[in-house]
Amino acid sequence: MTKHHLPATPDTVHWGYFSKTLAPVLTLKSGERAVIESITHHANDDYARMIEGDRAAEEIFLWTKDQKTMRRRGAGTTDGPFTYGSGEGMGVHLLTGPVAVEGAEPGDIIEVRVIDTWPRPSANPAYAGRFFGSNPAANWGFQYKDLIEGPTPREVVTIYELDMGEAVVRALYSYLWTPQTDPDGITHPTIDYPGVRVDHSMVVKKEGILPGIKVPARLHFGTMGLAPAEADFVSTIPPNYTGGNMDDWRIAKGARMYYPVAVSGGLFSCGDAHASQGDSELSGTAIEISLTGEFEFILHKKEQLEGTLLEGLTHPLLENDEVWSVYGFSVANYLAELGPDHQSEILKRGSLDSAMRDAFRKLRRFLMTTQNLSEDEAISLMSVAADFAVTQVVDANWGVTGSIRKSIFPAR
Amino acid sequence: MNAQPFTSESYSGDAGEAAWQDVLRGFGLQSQGARHGSPAHASALSRLSSTGVRLGKFSADAQSLRPLPSRSGLPLLLMPVENSTVLVVDGDRQIVPAGQIILAPRAGDWQLQFQRGLRAVVLSVPAEAFRGRKVPPLPAAPPRVFEAQGLPDIMGRTALATAEALDRLSEAEWEAVAQSAAELLLALSGELVAATSDPSSSRAALLQRLYATIERSMGGEDLSITDIAQAEGISERYVQKLFEGTGESFSHYLRERRLQRAWHDLANPAEAAVPIAEVAYRCGFADAAHFSRLFRERFGLPPRELRRREADRQAHSAVASGQRGWPQQALVQLRAGQGAGGPARRPALREGGEASAPVAEAQTPARHYLPVHAQHVHWGYFSRSLEPLIEIASGDIVTIETLTQHASDDPERMIEGDPGAESVFHWTPTAKTVNRRGAGPLDASVFGRGAGEGFGVHICTGPIAVQGAQPGDVLQVHILDIEPRRSRHPAHAGRVFGSSVAAWWGYHYSELLSEPHPRECVTIYEIITNADEPYAEALHSYRWEPQTDPSGVQHVLYDYPGVLVRPGTVTLQANVLEGVRIPLRPHFGVVAVAPREAELVDSVPPAYFGGNLDNWRLGKGATVYLPVSVPGALLSVGDPHAAQGDGELSGTAIECSMTGTFRVTLHKKADIGSTVLADLTYPLIETPDDWILTGFSHPNYLAEFGASSQSEVYAKSSLDLAMRDAFRKMRRFLMTTKALSEDEAVALMSVAVDFGITQVVDGNWGVHAILSKRLFAQHRRSESARDI
Repeated sequence: MTKHHLPATPDTVHWGYFSKTLAPVLTLKSGERAVIESITHHANDDYARMIEGDRAAEEIFLWTKDQKTMRRRGAGTTDGPFTYGSGEGMGVHLLTGPVAVEGAEPGDIIEVRVIDTWPRPSANPAYAGRFFGSNPAANWGFQYKDLIEGPTPREVVTIYELDMGEAVVRALYSYLWTPQTDPDGITHPTIDYPGVRVDHSMVVKKEGILPGIKVPARLHFGTMGLAPAEADFVSTIPPNYTGGNMDDWRIAKGARMYYPVAVSGGLFSCGDAHASQGDSELSGTAIEISLTGEFEFILHKKEQLEGTLLEGLTHPLLENDEVWSVYGFSVANYLAELGPDHQSEILKRGSLDSAMRDAFRKLRRFLMTTQNLSEDEAISLMSVAADFAVTQVVDANWGVTGSIRKSIFPAR
Repeated sequence: MNAQPFTSESYSGDAGEAAWQDVLRGFGLQSQGARHGSPAHASALSRLSSTGVRLGKFSADAQSLRPLPSRSGLPLLLMPVENSTVLVVDGDRQIVPAGQIILAPRAGDWQLQFQRGLRAVVLSVPAEAFRGRKVPPLPAAPPRVFEAQGLPDIMGRTALATAEALDRLSEAEWEAVAQSAAELLLALSGELVAATSDPSSSRAALLQRLYATIERSMGGEDLSITDIAQAEGISERYVQKLFEGTGESFSHYLRERRLQRAWHDLANPAEAAVPIAEVAYRCGFADAAHFSRLFRERFGLPPRELRRREADRQAHSAVASGQRGWPQQALVQLRAGQGAGGPARRPALREGGEASAPVAEAQTPARHYLPVHAQHVHWGYFSRSLEPLIEIASGDIVTIETLTQHASDDPERMIEGDPGAESVFHWTPTAKTVNRRGAGPLDASVFGRGAGEGFGVHICTGPIAVQGAQPGDVLQVHILDIEPRRSRHPAHAGRVFGSSVAAWWGYHYSELLSEPHPRECVTIYEIITNADEPYAEALHSYRWEPQTDPSGVQHVLYDYPGVLVRPGTVTLQANVLEGVRIPLRPHFGVVAVAPREAELVDSVPPAYFGGNLDNWRLGKGATVYLPVSVPGALLSVGDPHAAQGDGELSGTAIECSMTGTFRVTLHKKADIGSTVLADLTYPLIETPDDWILTGFSHPNYLAEFGASSQSEVYAKSSLDLAMRDAFRKMRRFLMTTKALSEDEAVALMSVAVDFGITQVVDGNWGVHAILSKRLFAQHRRSESARDI
């Protein structure tokens, strides 16, 4: 089996947006595998632990008065003057890709199997071989306007270390975000633009936090998906019908994700890796970490979908050994539904109520189409055996997952 | 009629396209292809008024709309929003920017091309919308575009604002707005007439003004043709001539309009209290008897009869559209002093002797057994005033038999031959052992459904008093065991059955895809307990058919618990969910202590006192901690479930009678200060692995909404609110019991706490937060709370 290798370099990453205009950095055939590196966009929260000594990370994050390797960060404007910076941080995730699958056309489905994931070790001699991640409680978090201790509002960054031996993550220290001025002279009073290096001489570190608490590791990629068709540059923040920032920790080793293809080649990108996350991703981020993943890509042509699990699929679908999960969003396809200002309009639409509605409809359709149930059967089964969970309440287009256990259908 | 949401996401492939055309057909429109890109998408929210006015907001892929010849009426109003559209008439193309409105005839050769996606508001007003009032014939004018100013602007804004609020307007509000929109459209259509200059249309415009004057002045008893002529500055003769041209005399038209208006006012529920004589007077009839005669001649029934029929229809449609709990109106009357009757008075404690007392005082823990029968249950409500069945000491073990209120869905399998169940469900024309079912009025004066009106449905066994329990204490209820209750019917003896109803209070009910709808569907399950991994499988299902209960009340919907479904009244469908095995999750949906706020509390919405938690994690080996709010705590258990998914989407789980064994422990307020129970104000579930905190849309809806709580809670539930509550509770739990700072608590919640949807069907919706105990195995912080 052909196994490709796609390292993260300035030439293989794009920052903060999906785009059908990007040339693929790798083209592979259905059935082939690729090992893809990703670097977390929160690495600059602790430069010494997550960037220093790592040549690729150093190059990607390089930003001086005269030089900024990755200028565009986000789907916003690239013509100054800027409020936040080029791309305006309308989308924040540092993604590796896109990877094209030969022969993929709109209407097809691309299956991505997560074969394995492993963390990227620190290359700084002082921390060599250790794994670090960052978890900001950010201004887009569910807690931000609802804080009870002072000062309010505030953003707090917690740095974690991943212990692969025990498969747990422990907090190292935290600090309150203080205004940071980037090399172009723009001051960031809050976390409003990705990749701004935090000057550790300006923050006060708090040690001894979450003492003894071990968070079970749940290694996964928060963002995996294909390029949408509706616009040239699409923010990576709201997840949508071609996937993207799903932030579901179940999309981990052993998972198979199915995505509807919207543009030729599919154009798969991934990043936003997490060492762990809870259902809801409450504070706005998970434990953001750099991971490398091995993936297998399988193309399912439109003509072959009938009678399979993928018949009529218009949204991302997860399959693993235990369950099938459909992803409901506040707005199922916000690019198509919300009109010309969709990228800003979606920021006002986050609601679990509409996401639950969407998840219900998608699971009903899935059960009726792929399990040949009548509507009454599907509804009874959903009530007694399907589980609805909160995926995230922080990615503008909020998510509710509807899951049904595969073991329920032993005779099928 | 409620707002109808539509989205193509509900359908597979071409079915979505067909369903979308159905939506458009309702407006007299059809879509023409030109749909490209994947996936094809269309969504709409629309609403129909009782007079046929239909308003909708569409959002879909690029496509063209054309008229579909339909029943007569005013021209269609179409308003592009966000994107412009292209109006094509006879090959001429005109760009119509967003915000302008188009009046287009219901037939003819025109189309609207939405090239950048269809986003539009559409209003359709049929001729009937004016209830017999004359609408002058409109010349067949081509489509016309109006700039957004003056009346067209008001029309456009009204339509848009209404379209955006469709799902938030009450029935009465929507009817009022729909009628105003129809009037506005009528006035605007008049401009179409005025704009053309041929003499017949100027006559039509004048006639239209005469009609409008009559509408304004018909309340005056002595309105004459002279008054009308004077108001318009024309001669009486000319008025007569104009009316002759319509084939109807002035006086005949005036009387017809007066009778129509009287009909409308009499049918209006908001005016049900206005005396008929007064309605007659305001419509220009000074003599009530004369009015009654004319009315009967015209409509074939007396005014009083019309009113009665309309009241019935309103009551019925209120139910059909999902009225749960107390209607607001009825609560007002209740407060005005028409008592609802207290909780059922039951025979004194231990009468019948089945409830066993502690075997011996000295033995610890004492064991108690509470069998289920009519004297041991309260049905559909909690009450601080119920006499406890037994009193137990802290630490005692009590085995409690519970019955599902859905046993009546299949009496043969779940009731017959079982003395306990037969006793509770016994209901004949002359005897009903458990009369009160729900917290509603005993005389069923609100809907006439039955005593208690089914405002609350669960059969609860209890209450049990706990010695020494006082408000501020916490009651720990630990489930040691759960055993299913086996059928005693000879044909099914030893087997276990349950029922699941896709009911009118289910989450799916407002948007069923397949016909007929709406509909309720009951699925009977068998619980297979002798397998390695016990499971449930469907036996058969049936569609709910109107059932007449022994007291003679017909239940068109599943609106009252315990109505025995008689064999032969429903059609069983076999081969349901073939080959599907549902793993069991036996648990109790209801575990409650009595709330303090009200005398009778509907058992459906859960809240701080526990109640209808519907969380399947509350099974064998789990514990729930409940804050005590009345002396003795008054613990009740019921609503047993064999399996349920997170969400409980259809309105019910697999409802199955079961017997539970519980260890009940009281924690005194003074002793819990430094424990995980410190500060507990909500039901807290503990399993061997996790803490599960229960968030609700309204954590204490009884206190929050006060007197109207038992109505409001059904109207104002939301997952967004429940998520907010779950977040706040988890933050507090981590800060209080684990001594974390707020920042630590927030960080931990984002990376290690799982939020899930408990239920979206119990009035007060639930989101739970799960905290794994494993996180804290080595957590050391001296201020942390002790475990219990």
